[in-house]
Amino acid sequence: MVQEFEGRTEQDAIDAAVEALGLEAHEFEVEIVSTRSGGLFGRNKAVRIAVHYAGTEDSRETEKKSDAPRQRAAGSTRATGEALHPETDFEHAVVDFVTTVTEKMGFPSKVSISFREPQKLGIRLESEHTNILIGRKGKNLDALQLLANVLSGRFVDSEIKVILDTEGYRGRREEQLIQLAHKVGDQVKRTRGSKLLEPMNPFERRLIHTTLNDIADIGTESEGEGLYKQVRIFYRGSK
Amino acid sequence: MERDLVEYIAKALVDEPDAVVVNQIEGEKSTILELKVNPDDIGKVIGKHGRIAKSIRTLLSAASTGTGKRVVLEILD
Repeated sequence: MVQEFEGRTEQDAIDAAVEALGLEAHEFEVEIVSTRSGGLFGRNKAVRIAVHYAGTEDSRETEKKSDAPRQRAAGSTRATGEALHPETDFEHAVVDFVTTVTEKMGFPSKVSISFREPQKLGIRLESEHTNILIGRKGKNLDALQLLANVLSGRFVDSEIKVILDTEGYRGRREEQLIQLAHKVGDQVKRTRGSKLLEPMNPFERRLIHTTLNDIADIGTESEGEGLYKQVRIFYRGSK
Repeated sequence: MERDLVEYIAKALVDEPDAVVVNQIEGEKSTILELKVNPDDIGKVIGKHGRIAKSIRTLLSAASTGTGKRVVLEILD
């Protein structure tokens, strides 16, 4: 779930969010949407934040509803929210593996198949412990996904990529990154400088590149070594 | 518990699951897990640039949050 709040300072906005949603500080993530510094002595100062949090049962329902048209527009089978059951040996193996690993980690989860595409298999986790299963910036979910993919690679004729998701985290993260790309892109355009983003995995970097690909004056480039490179967004000047 | 986790993952990834052995060494502030696999399988638990080993370590540290004890995974060759 994402909801926006406003306050004179970032802290004010967060306080407003905590009060309105009744959440503890560790139960949500805050993203700053905009800051207005306006006015003498910052009198009209305002900070707008977006609060990301795991919805409760009923709020998740409404979220699903509002998400549905957009996903259908994308022509993806992911829109169907129902859980599918594993059919092939390969699907059973992946579902069993993820189920057992989460159980042995001490965070037992209900694991089901969320979508099937020619080269992709979507796996959904439902658990009381989604926060820790996701981890900081999706670290734990990515680690488990990587292992599930290694396992999938052991099935000789399967060139299928396994995608793990829980409580719509991947979609949320995607939106967050697109927003970030636009925000930093605008900044760079204004200052005519460049900015280095935090380290990201290949999928996330690609999302930044493609988001800013069509925007004039702005270029993107990956820097660094290894799996987690950093994207630099820079001003290119008009051509 | 963490020992089981490592053993299960390793067995799922190697060609010789019977050769997988995990030793647990309890220290005061940390637990050391020594993973031993068939020499031909060692690449399967380490991966390119240590990606698989890194993922196993990530899941281990997630599993051990709250226990107050660090878990260290060592892969023996």
